[in-house]
Amino acid sequence: MEPNPTNPRIEQFRSEVADLDIKTPADSGERTYLLVGIVLMVIGGGLIFAGYWGASGTGVLAEQIPYVLSGGFLGLGVMLVGAAMFVRYSLSRYLRYWLIRTIYEERTQADKVVESLGSIEALLRETARSRADAE
Amino acid sequence: MSAPTAASVAEPPLLELRGVRAAYGRIEVVHGIDLVLPAGSVFALLGPNGAGKSTTLSVCSGLMAPTAGSVILAGRRVNGASPDQLARAGVCTIPEGRSVFPNLTVRENLQMMTFAGVSMNAVEEVAYARFPRLGERRTQLAGTMSGGEQQMLAMARGLATDPALLLLDELSMGLAPLIVEELYTIVAQIAAEGISILVVEQFAHSVLEVADTAAIMLHGSIARVGPPRELEDELSAAYLGA
Repeated sequence: MEPNPTNPRIEQFRSEVADLDIKTPADSGERTYLLVGIVLMVIGGGLIFAGYWGASGTGVLAEQIPYVLSGGFLGLGVMLVGAAMFVRYSLSRYLRYWLIRTIYEERTQADKVVESLGSIEALLRETARSRADAE
Repeated sequence: MSAPTAASVAEPPLLELRGVRAAYGRIEVVHGIDLVLPAGSVFALLGPNGAGKSTTLSVCSGLMAPTAGSVILAGRRVNGASPDQLARAGVCTIPEGRSVFPNLTVRENLQMMTFAGVSMNAVEEVAYARFPRLGERRTQLAGTMSGGEQQMLAMARGLATDPALLLLDELSMGLAPLIVEELYTIVAQIAAEGISILVVEQFAHSVLEVADTAAIMLHGSIARVGPPRELEDELSAAYLGA
């Protein structure tokens, strides 16, 4: 086969590839979100502790309310968001791994079944041949 | 294979893979492969089911990012390029299983390619000139055509985008040997026009007749590369795991 080396399309392709604006592949962000989730849970815990610390320092109810709001509720909210992020991203990683592992196992099992059937077929063929020889 | 010309020696190959690894999650399926495809040549990547051939093709088309190594197009490392960027530049993939729209007519299937900015007249001209049978069936629903004709339609659709690099996945799957031979004759014609073609196949003999280079891929690695004639004898042994 004699290719056409002067095909203008090839030259165009070379120049188009040279001009491609290629960005470095971005990280899926999954690990980052997982870490953010952990950090948020820690911050939430810290806020709750700070709220408790502040509220316990005064016996006046009106002074305790800001601590409950900014420390307790905000801390709880931040903690819940962090926990949700942590569960979401760690679960998706695990499920993806589990799915791939299942597919891999299924393929291995299928290969084994095919192999076993091949052995059985060879054995049957051998038995039939030896029976025919005996007759 | 033809002797390299001065131009082809100076120019980098159209597609080159260097130590490419690819994985689905934590499971690596391509373990560092090297491959060189000069302009206007046909490279046949052969191997049994599960060898990693289609994954390699996905890496070449940008559908999958390699976990290591380099994908080099026309001398430029394109790791991280999106599939649409590569498709616009001229990388065309014809996936396994024909992928035509069964409930659209031949003409409507071809019409889908006008999104690339090519006029319908140009698409039809290229398609019917290359595959006259499609011209006769232009109003027929694609799903009612034979497997070979559907494959022709898939190829015609790909060629309508004027590709420079064609990636063919299991062209012969489920087709009669005569049809496969006919399709590979067309593949040889396309390559002679200067388009580089990477073909992935399980059942190999027809592709070996048109390929310039062939490689046997086993368990995610290239076990052997060489002229198709030399590899033909080794194929059966490789498939049977000998």
